[in-house]
Amino acid sequence: MLKKSLIAVTLSSLLIAPAFADLTINGFASIKAGITLDSDDTLYGYDDSLDFKNESLFAVQLMSDLGEKLSVTAQLMGRGAEDFDVEFEWAFISYQLTEEIRINAGRLRTPFYKYSDFRDVGYAYDWLRVPQSVYGLGFDNIEGISFYHTTQLGSFDSNLQLIAGAYDGDATVSGNSVDAEIKNVLGVAWELGRDWYSLRAAYLRGKVTIDAQSAELQPGVTFGTFFAGLSGAGFATLVNEIDINEEDGAFFGVGFTADKNDWLLVAEYTTVKVDNSFIANQKNFYVSLGHRFDSITPYVSYEKEDNEAKTEIYTPYLATLPPQLLVPVAGIVQSQARKATTYNLGLRYDFHPSAAFKLQYSSEDNKIADLRQDVLAFGVDLVF
Amino acid sequence: MRTIKTVLLLATLLSGAAVADIAVVVNPANANAVSADDLNRLFLGRASSFADGSKATPLNMAEGRPAREEFDSKVLNRSAAQLKAYWSKLVFTGKGTPPKELADDAAVKAAVAADSSAIGYISSSSVDSSVKVVASF
Repeated sequence: MLKKSLIAVTLSSLLIAPAFADLTINGFASIKAGITLDSDDTLYGYDDSLDFKNESLFAVQLMSDLGEKLSVTAQLMGRGAEDFDVEFEWAFISYQLTEEIRINAGRLRTPFYKYSDFRDVGYAYDWLRVPQSVYGLGFDNIEGISFYHTTQLGSFDSNLQLIAGAYDGDATVSGNSVDAEIKNVLGVAWELGRDWYSLRAAYLRGKVTIDAQSAELQPGVTFGTFFAGLSGAGFATLVNEIDINEEDGAFFGVGFTADKNDWLLVAEYTTVKVDNSFIANQKNFYVSLGHRFDSITPYVSYEKEDNEAKTEIYTPYLATLPPQLLVPVAGIVQSQARKATTYNLGLRYDFHPSAAFKLQYSSEDNKIADLRQDVLAFGVDLVF
Repeated sequence: MRTIKTVLLLATLLSGAAVADIAVVVNPANANAVSADDLNRLFLGRASSFADGSKATPLNMAEGRPAREEFDSKVLNRSAAQLKAYWSKLVFTGKGTPPKELADDAAVKAAVAADSSAIGYISSSSVDSSVKVVASF
């Protein structure tokens, strides 16, 4: 309630602005529906009953040009998965220092991936959803400051972004939503493009804290009580190697896109590492190939996730740790292992100047659980 | 029968539109040369100044006008849907705003004649002395 009235106040103050500033209103929306093809499957938030809410979203963006190179932008978004509760997805002021340099400050999108900035704007890409094996990390927004430098280097267009800030929000630990924080985020993303192809690289790091204390390890036992038990038994060092308390985290990603003779190729590879924590070292990848036939663009893509559990955390304790402690420790560490491959087959159909119909079939093969899950989804992405 | 006539008429109109040339126009006071590459950069928001460093204000024709379709496909080499997707990437990430759109040749000519930074395009047949042609497609 407070959130909504706050938005109303902000909206009305923004709406008063046109009297003395130039206000631009744009928006985008996605109405999507999906269903898994087997009764026990759950994938991307869908199950075996057709759901129209999970991936649907609405957003309105207000941009006010205050003149003198200063502008303010707010993007309000309601996601079906969050009951369409409206939140500020982006909210920043922008200062165009020179033709080549711009500074944004406020709530920004963390520039992990090629499609990070506009991943919610389905109309801007061909897929029904961005590849979840790579884009599923979370921590999408950051509060901070960003420096953009756009220039020409020979025949290349160069886009350099430097970012500094912090993430303060949620993360999911064994199915429980817990507080998460990444402090002192520093990052750089650089994209070089020329006529039909582009290359991108990004590196970000920060101090990661995920407060799993309240998350349940098993019924009646939280991470907090278990860690206290371990420390009490003289294994405080081991607790330090498992918990996520101001640990050094690093993200690295590279990407390639090509658009030639109506063939579209996109690939990204990312790695994630959080030192001294039970978070597995992640290596994720996807490649997508599509072809534009006028208004219809079919595509096929392949994704791969390889999250290696850090068993080296507990192997030195195999002899010393009593089994009633060793088993849960090994369980926590190994729960982070994940090996999966996913195939997607889909198409985009531009049936209207401002709207595209999408259809996508996805099949995920979880190698560790030995489980294949399929989901079929369709919907419309539009901009206004 | 009537359908066939309509189809014929449409075909004539469409082929007419396909051969009609478009002229890229600037203010007569503007002495800059403008290449196809410059046009690309200006109309895709990748540059905002002319060769001499002075500010450039690109003006687009409204969506759906034949000259717009011609310009999009011949100069920018993209379909209307591709351009909309391109601009939505920039608009919703605060990285740019598409050029202002004007309704017809008369509106573009009036705007270009009144603003030394303006650059737009019109059907070649609409060109008069109020504007200067820097390129034709």
